[in-house]
Amino acid sequence: MEILKISNLIKKFGNYYAVDNLSMQVNEGVIFGLLGPNGAGKTTTIRLITNILFPDSGEILIMGEKINPGLKNKIGYLPEERGLYKKNKVIEQLEYFGRLKGLSSKEANNRARFWLEKVGASGWETKKIEELSKGMAQKVQFVSTVLHNPKLLILDEPFSGFDPINTELMKNIILEMKSQGTTIILSTHQMYQVEQLCDELLMINQGKIVLSGNLRDIKKQYGTNHLIIEFEGDGNFIHQIDNQKIIDKTSNRIELKIDSYEEAQLILKNAVINNKITKFDIQEPPLNEIFIDVVSKSIEAQNEK
Amino acid sequence: MKSSKIWTIISFEFITRVKSKGFIISTLLGPIFLLAIMVIPGIVAALSMEDTSKKIAVVDQSGYFLDKIVNSDKSTFFKSDEPIEKLKQQVLDGSLDAFLVIPKNIDSVGSASIYTPGGGGIGLVEKIQSTVSEIAREKRLIDAGVNKSVIDLVEKEVKINTVKVTKEGVQKDYTEFYSIFGYILGFMIYILMFSYGALVMRGVINEKANRIIEILNSSASAMEIMMGKIFGIAAVGLVQVLVWILMIMAVSLFAGSLLPMFINQPEVVNLNSMPTPAQSLPFEIPPIPIGTWVAFLFFFLAGYFLYSSLFAAVGSAVNQEEDAAQLQTPITMPLIIPILFMPAIMGNPDSPLAIILSLIPFFSPILMTARIAATTVPIWQIILSVALTLLTLYFSIWVASKIYRIGILMYGKKPQFKDLIKWIRLAK
Repeated sequence: MEILKISNLIKKFGNYYAVDNLSMQVNEGVIFGLLGPNGAGKTTTIRLITNILFPDSGEILIMGEKINPGLKNKIGYLPEERGLYKKNKVIEQLEYFGRLKGLSSKEANNRARFWLEKVGASGWETKKIEELSKGMAQKVQFVSTVLHNPKLLILDEPFSGFDPINTELMKNIILEMKSQGTTIILSTHQMYQVEQLCDELLMINQGKIVLSGNLRDIKKQYGTNHLIIEFEGDGNFIHQIDNQKIIDKTSNRIELKIDSYEEAQLILKNAVINNKITKFDIQEPPLNEIFIDVVSKSIEAQNEK
Repeated sequence: MKSSKIWTIISFEFITRVKSKGFIISTLLGPIFLLAIMVIPGIVAALSMEDTSKKIAVVDQSGYFLDKIVNSDKSTFFKSDEPIEKLKQQVLDGSLDAFLVIPKNIDSVGSASIYTPGGGGIGLVEKIQSTVSEIAREKRLIDAGVNKSVIDLVEKEVKINTVKVTKEGVQKDYTEFYSIFGYILGFMIYILMFSYGALVMRGVINEKANRIIEILNSSASAMEIMMGKIFGIAAVGLVQVLVWILMIMAVSLFAGSLLPMFINQPEVVNLNSMPTPAQSLPFEIPPIPIGTWVAFLFFFLAGYFLYSSLFAAVGSAVNQEEDAAQLQTPITMPLIIPILFMPAIMGNPDSPLAIILSLIPFFSPILMTARIAATTVPIWQIILSVALTLLTLYFSIWVASKIYRIGILMYGKKPQFKDLIKWIRLAK
């Protein structure tokens, strides 16, 4: 069942279409990647879903209900640009944000303490935000987004500002929330995180969908066309490869696109002559490459018009 | 659900502010500051009045005036036999403030001369003028053979009592007191509207600059956030004003029972059916009608809501406080204009100018309150100004909420006034 269903959504700013006839749906219990280059309309779309902005036309259904202010309590939103009251204590503002999401003060207080402990921030309750480091404030911010147990959680670049250890911690928390039935919309430019976390994704550019579907299906559709060879030797076989196919090349490693398995076999045959092959691997294309490919094609198509 | 969100915002705004050190300090020091504003000019005036009793030498060539002048104010005047040239020298080097020369033939020329180093103030000249004239008048009467008892009768002063006619009968009029009181009330409303309006604006800018607003907006509507802040700060203002009133009442009660020990009680004027003023004070404080207080509270709140909604709109448009100055001008101008007109209006609170200006909704909070305190404003004018103010208030909140809704999400270049107008049209 879908938790979010958007049909023919349009949002204009003056004559500019920030969201241009967008239709999409997000199934319950998945992690959904919302991708696109800067200025693609991601933030506007999220603001429409969170009822901060109002669409010019189209329809948004959340849990089958037409979008309305009451639904705000069921959504958690972590905006890309973070912010907290600098002069207020951590627990005070968490309680405030919790109450704004419909919790009682006591509930909000209990949940805030529970979550602070979970993110490794217990003991910070009476600190003021201005006394915290950026990473610490990020954790408090995350808690403010989830303490009311939202059914739909929207995270915009949730890992920015975190060190690798805390990034891992947050990833695990997100996966745990997913396993408990929370649907998560993840908007990020970190493609390898999308590959690690997302089940489904939607890529938009200039307010329009350029790619959407299940992550596995998309990658399959783009084929297993990626060849990586690691070797020790003269590397002369590289000269026989079409330069345009090479993605990355160092003195003992080459990464390239292939059109078929036969092509890979031919390259291997050439390579073994004067080299010791340490790795030979045919892979799915990384999402990063699909992203660049799709976006540049959509820009070309736009320019042709 | 909806009302509980705005209530959450109101209580958060209220509690965080009331708990802050700034609030506690300004609440405690406010009355002291206000008292200083009111008392210091009085003290300065009192000091400068005594200051007119400079040392003035009297050279009497007629022989009649000297003793009488010196006796009229021994601290100021003293007899001098020194030649005029020498006195001039003393005035020049500053050892003498001035000297008065009564010519021998004063009766025929009808004038005397005062020599000063220049200036000296109108108070000094007036004082000498009245002293010398009085003595000269008396001398002429005596010279004309008028009996001393007749002279005393003529000299006896007449005191003017101002009496106000009302439906309930005549009562003593305190025109001067009510004028000053109106001035003070108007000025207080000005200060309160300005400072609390600016507080709203700073709060809005803080939430926008620190990027809190988007989180709030994903929980509550822009209208709820804006009105919650305005109401929350209004509650802070009411608490502060209430504490001040209580403190002033306590102080005046204490001072009222203490002051008469040091200062003689004033003469109590007895007129029939006159309300008794607070007699324990060294000066008369007439009763202040309850309607004046109602008007004060109403116009303070209406004015605060009117201006703070506009301040909120400006705050939402800018990214930092420094950028607000330019957009703020259209709001601060109508705040300041009534203060500029205040002396003229208090001088004649029933003039057409006063009536027209006090009916303009942006001026009403200050000017109508001042007029209601100072004079009897016809009921139609009060009703009209209340209606116009409420109508304008409704309109200003409507406009402000549109600007606010768009403004809080706009970052980047500093907006111009025309951008705000564009946003009003943009927001549906």
